[in-house]
Amino acid sequence: MDYLATEYLRSRKIPSTACSGCGLGQCHKALVKAIDGVGLTVSDIVWGTSIGCAGRQTFATWKGDSFAGTHGRVYAIARGLRLALPPEKRIVLTVGDGDAFGIGFNHLLHAVRTNAQMTIMVCDNLGYQSTGGQFGWTTPPGVVTDSSPYGMFEPNWVQPERDVLRILKEAGATFLARHVSMDGASLVESLTKALQNNGLSLVHVVYPCTTNFGKNALGTRKPVEIFNWIKRHAAPLGKEKEETIWRTGIYHDASNSRPEFSTLMRRKVDEIRGRYS
Amino acid sequence: MKRYLETGNFGVAQAAVMAGCRVFCGYPITPATEIAEAMSGLLPRVGGFYVQTEDETAAMHMAIGAALGGMKAMTATSGPGFILYADPYGWAIGCEIPLVVLNSQRVGPVSGITGAPGQGEFYLSRYVTQGGNFETIVLAPNSAQEAFFLTIEAFYLSERFRTPVTVLADQLITDGWEDLSIPETDEEKQAMGLRFAERKAHPGPQFYPPTDEIDIPPVVLGKDTGALCSDWTPTEEGYDIETVEAQHKHAYRLIYKIRNHRDLITRHESLFLDDDPKIIAVAFGTPSRVVKTAVKKARAQGKKIGMIRPISLWPFPDELFKRNATYLSVELNYDGQMVREIQRAAPRESSVHFFGKCGELPTVAELSQIFDDLLQGKPPRRRGWETEAW
Ligand code: SF4
Repeated sequence: MDYLATEYLRSRKIPSTACSGCGLGQCHKALVKAIDGVGLTVSDIVWGTSIGCAGRQTFATWKGDSFAGTHGRVYAIARGLRLALPPEKRIVLTVGDGDAFGIGFNHLLHAVRTNAQMTIMVCDNLGYQSTGGQFGWTTPPGVVTDSSPYGMFEPNWVQPERDVLRILKEAGATFLARHVSMDGASLVESLTKALQNNGLSLVHVVYPCTTNFGKNALGTRKPVEIFNWIKRHAAPLGKEKEETIWRTGIYHDASNSRPEFSTLMRRKVDEIRGRYS
Repeated sequence: MKRYLETGNFGVAQAAVMAGCRVFCGYPITPATEIAEAMSGLLPRVGGFYVQTEDETAAMHMAIGAALGGMKAMTATSGPGFILYADPYGWAIGCEIPLVVLNSQRVGPVSGITGAPGQGEFYLSRYVTQGGNFETIVLAPNSAQEAFFLTIEAFYLSERFRTPVTVLADQLITDGWEDLSIPETDEEKQAMGLRFAERKAHPGPQFYPPTDEIDIPPVVLGKDTGALCSDWTPTEEGYDIETVEAQHKHAYRLIYKIRNHRDLITRHESLFLDDDPKIIAVAFGTPSRVVKTAVKKARAQGKKIGMIRPISLWPFPDELFKRNATYLSVELNYDGQMVREIQRAAPRESSVHFFGKCGELPTVAELSQIFDDLLQGKPPRRRGWETEAW
């Protein structure tokens, strides 16, 4: 990470304040690797984050211009920012599962509908962990959390019949993928493709929370055990098994297939302006 | 100068474009919808963007996003939408993002009467977001012409103070048709007293200085300044930090950059204050026009009545209430909101009264009756809760 860290990250924010053993670092590293691989520099990207572990731990880590929005609102902020930024600037967002699939879902859907360029990495720690460990919208069935003491019994957003990526695809997302944070090369590959799409890309990454999810749901804080548990429940699309919760890989790739939000707006405004000038 | 018979909504939209607004984000709501409609027509012609958003929360966040990217932005709503702005408003205050927000008040609570004027958001416009530790700027027009003027002023103040500014209007101002003059030349603009401020970008690295200074360019993303802004208490560079010292510095700046430069914000209109008024009627927005007529009529009859109309509502103009007198706050609500601020600001020996109407304006006859009662040293004749502030 040394080269990547000096090139792209603020020294003041290293090491991160995430708990030891937290998988968030893996997600973050994969994204920076992909950025480097695509050849983007610090000044090419405006980086946005949200609240919760994913937002708080990644805020201001990027050496360039950065912002942190309130919970669930970054998609609306980013859409406004998209209009003001030059088209060649890229927006990258690191957000949590609660932010994207709960409180911000409506804003996310409309950002998707308009295909506003933003590369979103949803860092999913399977619930609300920075507030102490309550269930969320991707918490696996039966799991005990502080707010599901009898086990998670509500339907969630990753069950095959209501997979959130399916909803986002129908809403018009142009690049969608899912991974677990230990996926390494394939995660970087998906993030690379996501960055190359001039439209809305979303990569959903499940990562281990050692402090709350591990302790409450699995009865262990040992990173290795939590890593193995997540791995065991993940399988590439088409190779699912009985115990599979997360179907991984590129879910939908329609990169650069339809106009990006701000490009469309600019084009239309130019046309109208021409008509009246 | 171009003259129109038009609505306040039209005036606001013209003003915004003249002030350099190039992004309008809104969610349809009566009686502010026509501002959005007007902007959807005007903005593309000058290279600007109109965005109709999924809800009010998105409207203001999106406007903030555009402002953060360096554009002048605006949004407009009414009470049920304004309360949703409480979420993004805090973010814009904390990050010091210039922005203009118009609220055309109607009758509440909740949806109330959509097509009738109210003034129930006097306090909401002051305590416009969560958490406290801030001061805010609110301007209240009482005509279509003044809505035009104050919208331009709001853009000017928002840039200089790096903060969102609220224009607190009401349904009669935005929907009402009136004579409206729009200046065309620089001389006409100057003669009208219009002030304009350019959008600049802060070069960094100290984006949040712990001083009360103004005229500091706002944080703009995408200029490679290493800009940081967040909802957390910032260090001077914008890093998130959880120390009381940092919070103290940040709060000091948010409060005193406005309080210590009140002279740049404060505006009011007054009548007969230097002529020994026994009673001073106080009103803002549309009801102030009826109050003015009633006061003039009373004066013509030799009655010692004066009037104050605060135009800048927040920071509250305490200095207007130094005189020992009998004050009468006339508001378009029944609970009495501004009356409490007058009571706080006025000398202890003063007596402060309230007359509320809602959804319709008070009449000159009603006001004359109350003036007569007060002149005789009697409290306003009971009209149930319309004269009870609490
Ligand atoms: S609480 Fe969990 S997700 Fe949050 S930083 Fe700690 S280990 Fe990571």
